[in-house]
Amino acid sequence: MTTLTGNNFGDTPVVPAKPDNYLTHGKTIGSWLLTLDHKRIGIMYLVVGLLAFFIGGMLAEVIRTQLLVPQGLIFHGTGSVASSYAAYRYYNQVFTLHGIIMVFLVLIPIIPGALGNFALPLLLGAKDVAFPKLNLISFYLYVVGALLAILSTVLGAVDTGWTFYTPFSIQTESYVVVMVLGIFLVGFSSIFTGINFMVTIHKLRPPGMTWFRMPLFLWAIYSTSLIQVAATPVVGITFVLLMMERVMGIGIFNPALGGNPVLFQEFFWFYSHPAVYIMILPAMGIVSEIIPVFSRKHIFGYEFIALSSLAIALIGFLVWGHHIFVNGQSAELDAVFSFLTFVVAVPSAIKVWNWLATMYKGAIVLKTPMLYALSFIVLFTIGGLTGVVLGALSEDVVLHDTYFVVGHFHYVMMGGTLIGFIAGLHYWWPKMFGRMYNERIAQWTCVVLFIGINLTFFPQLMVGADGMPRRYASYLPMYQPYMIVSTVGAYIQLVAFLSMAGYLLHSLFRGKKAPVNPWGGGSLEWETSSPPPHDNFETTPSVGDPYDYTDMVFDPVTNGYVRTEPQQVPVAAPQAH
Amino acid sequence: MGVTMISQMLGHMNFGRTIAALWLPHGDSTFSPGVQFLWDFWYWISVFFTVLIVGLVVSFSIRYRHTKDRTIAENSPSHNNSLEITWTIIPFIIVMVIFALGFKDYMNMDSPPANSYNIHVIAQKWSWTFVYENGAISNTLYLPVNKPVRLNMTSKDVLHGFWIPDLSIQRDVVPGRVMTTWVEATHPGKYILQCAEYCGDGHSEMRANVVAEAYPKFQHQIVAAANIFEENGKPLPLATVGKKLYVTLGCLGCHSVDGSKGTGPSWKNLAGSKEVLTNGHSVSVDYAFLKTMITHPGRVLIKGFPAGVMPSYGSRFTGKNVKNLYAVVWYINSLSKYSNKASQPPVPNESGGAEPATSSKAAAAPATVAPAAAVKAASPVAKVPSGPKPIPLHVLGAKLYKSLGCIGCHTVNGQPGVGPTWKNLAGYPQKLTTGKTVIADYKFLRTMILDPGTMDVVGVPAGVMPNMYKYQLSGKKHPHETKLNALIWYINTLSNRSSKATQPPVPDVPAVK
Repeated sequence: MTTLTGNNFGDTPVVPAKPDNYLTHGKTIGSWLLTLDHKRIGIMYLVVGLLAFFIGGMLAEVIRTQLLVPQGLIFHGTGSVASSYAAYRYYNQVFTLHGIIMVFLVLIPIIPGALGNFALPLLLGAKDVAFPKLNLISFYLYVVGALLAILSTVLGAVDTGWTFYTPFSIQTESYVVVMVLGIFLVGFSSIFTGINFMVTIHKLRPPGMTWFRMPLFLWAIYSTSLIQVAATPVVGITFVLLMMERVMGIGIFNPALGGNPVLFQEFFWFYSHPAVYIMILPAMGIVSEIIPVFSRKHIFGYEFIALSSLAIALIGFLVWGHHIFVNGQSAELDAVFSFLTFVVAVPSAIKVWNWLATMYKGAIVLKTPMLYALSFIVLFTIGGLTGVVLGALSEDVVLHDTYFVVGHFHYVMMGGTLIGFIAGLHYWWPKMFGRMYNERIAQWTCVVLFIGINLTFFPQLMVGADGMPRRYASYLPMYQPYMIVSTVGAYIQLVAFLSMAGYLLHSLFRGKKAPVNPWGGGSLEWETSSPPPHDNFETTPSVGDPYDYTDMVFDPVTNGYVRTEPQQVPVAAPQAH
Repeated sequence: MGVTMISQMLGHMNFGRTIAALWLPHGDSTFSPGVQFLWDFWYWISVFFTVLIVGLVVSFSIRYRHTKDRTIAENSPSHNNSLEITWTIIPFIIVMVIFALGFKDYMNMDSPPANSYNIHVIAQKWSWTFVYENGAISNTLYLPVNKPVRLNMTSKDVLHGFWIPDLSIQRDVVPGRVMTTWVEATHPGKYILQCAEYCGDGHSEMRANVVAEAYPKFQHQIVAAANIFEENGKPLPLATVGKKLYVTLGCLGCHSVDGSKGTGPSWKNLAGSKEVLTNGHSVSVDYAFLKTMITHPGRVLIKGFPAGVMPSYGSRFTGKNVKNLYAVVWYINSLSKYSNKASQPPVPNESGGAEPATSSKAAAAPATVAPAAAVKAASPVAKVPSGPKPIPLHVLGAKLYKSLGCIGCHTVNGQPGVGPTWKNLAGYPQKLTTGKTVIADYKFLRTMILDPGTMDVVGVPAGVMPNMYKYQLSGKKHPHETKLNALIWYINTLSNRSSKATQPPVPDVPAVK
């Protein structure tokens, strides 16, 4: 096993960064594009993912700007109804592309792809993932899928909404086949990543790291991978059927040919609901890593947090029908889905209580990653509670397909997944690039972003409860006050993201050198240099309790934490905790 | 621009409403109190937990803040099973209560009472049409107060969402099947129906007004709505009626009347002009061409416009509804400087035109009847649209075949369709999905038309045939089942095995009392 966990240099102590690290190991473009190094693949995912996020974000700003006035500020007609409708088609294309990019190219792949790839082998003390070549293939499938999505937009865009509901998606003149093919490829990327991570966690854990001594991020990634592998094929097949329906008219979803449009919805949500957990579970894993480190206290209720991830992943497979309560499926079936939806809400609540209990009596350091983790708790709480009312059958009838739903899932996806990703990015940034960012600016940016998100999405909850449906290019004037506040919030978010881009880019070139362990983390990635060498570890890291910070002190010379008595755990004898 | 925008914004601001809307709109249906109660219950629980969690995050962050004197955590346990179980059980109990309350109300929403008034809702890109029991058609949804209304909904094209927030009802309208929901308004009021399921370009404008009124007033409204060809008892010029239809049938979604570009060709200067088709031919837009474009939109295509977008209006413009076609074509002609004899309908625009005059008289008839009788206007006596001369039942059946929409799925020439062809159907054996084989006799045909769900014939998709015909052809309002008998007589004339057993119990003679 030692060969897998790095070169064994015997008694050499943990050394500070050596000149050669994974970033400088090979300088040609080819050494990046054809790399099998999980860290470099992670960085490439990060670059493409952030690019996609930038495009998706700008589309969001277009959406919000359009909705400043009831008849539409950007896309509106020249007087006649027909000319308005022709203009609204562009708006429909914009929100469709926003949804597709954010869901399939950002939320689903970015945490496993960027942070998972970078951190997972490091957390395991391993040299790489189990299948490095598969990892690279998976990245390129993602890139090709993203390019096809862009191609379909250049050819003439898609106006179906990211859900591709039939029969609209069969009838529309837009480039659905190209777009769906792109997502199909991204789906395979997701499956390959899931398989890779599962095998890595099963096979490459170092001696002494039992399942219940893994960092919680690994539990989260493992649960996520389970969903990716089991659910993604279903959406792949669904999209193949949709393409066949469009090209050959096989009559499975098209009612004009005797097909059943509701069947598409069932297939689609069979994947797309578990996909929500593909998005949120890794973010919860990141928060579970950050809260104990910045509370300087052992995580509370480790087993409950770990098993709740697994519970969410498994029950999450059985709740897809709650997206289609009003589409005419039988009331008894609706009742079963509603019941299971409430069951799956409980493990999420368990996590929140455990995070709070971890903070209790801690020594809380409000650095940027922690501020984002706390933002996550608050935003996810609002997102989760608004989900509870949507799960209640009679309430769903009045809230389905309204802005309340839009507000709800943006609280979960943006306030949860994306904030979790940003927390993780700030947490592992020093390890990734060996540089620190400007802490003060980063903290203020977090505060501004938190305000922006609430200003954007809370009015959407209100306007939805008041009766405004989603996917509207124009709306009744009585909804305008909410829409204006929401748009102002979106502009505030834009300011926060521009600031973030600014200080992170600055850090890349001018940032202070990062110490080995800037936050005092106890998991294995903090035992190697920042940035890590090509082979991850100079010496075999010893496995202890990842949440034990009792023997760590802050060293003002390096600006990082060091262990007072380095953990010398014999590999064969697990340490009790 | 800035100033106008701000003043415009302030004009719409209604701060009282903004604050109140943290809660749902005050609902006006029998479902609303239950929905409101559960919403409030959830709302206060959510406020409690949000305040609790935010409070703990903030107070812990302040109280246990890392300082020079506090660099390590206090000693406290890292797990506690009874605490874990407590905070698993409490949320579980709360969500189960919410589940149970939501389920109870939902089961009620799912079961329309037997004494419901029936309204047929037709959704299409991008308009709503409502058909009442007396045959009236409107684009405003009129609802009687304190009377359950069963809404039988069909879509002509894609998914739509029937949603009236103020009445606490929503249901998707799925093409290819009949979706039902029901509602009982508790007092008179005006509401807005909005399409909730994304349906393309005009989705955000696919609205309808909803008017709930007490009974006598409700009847007046639907009687007035039944007759679009008259205003205050005076017949209207056909072009004026066409202008109304342009709005109510949703033509305005794709066709402009001012020459601006839309999904379909603008109607401005269309009639009488020359257009190039996708097959390269050049045609002059005359009456016959316009008629084809409206009734069979797939047959010919004008170059530069997408195929498959225009819904087929079918029976809305043919048969007894042919006057709608005249009206719309007259309206199109009134918009064109190229309008000529060839592009105009075969009847004059003025209300005195021979054929429209009889039709408008027939349509006006219900208005002269007392309101109470008007609701029951669809009497068992077959009203023959083409004139007073009585006709045999099977001839009426052939007309109904088209006007009721049977033609959409059933052919009469033996060609396969979505449903079985009517050619040689009566008297022939039919294989059921249960494995049994039955002869298509009168009883079988009657059951298949009125209660299509009870038997499924092998090779025919289940659940496609609308189940609303029992309200249009049978039941209390149609004790003689004249139209049903007419249809079955028509089916019999198409079969060479027609016999006593397959024919209706009444003779195929002009329908009389």
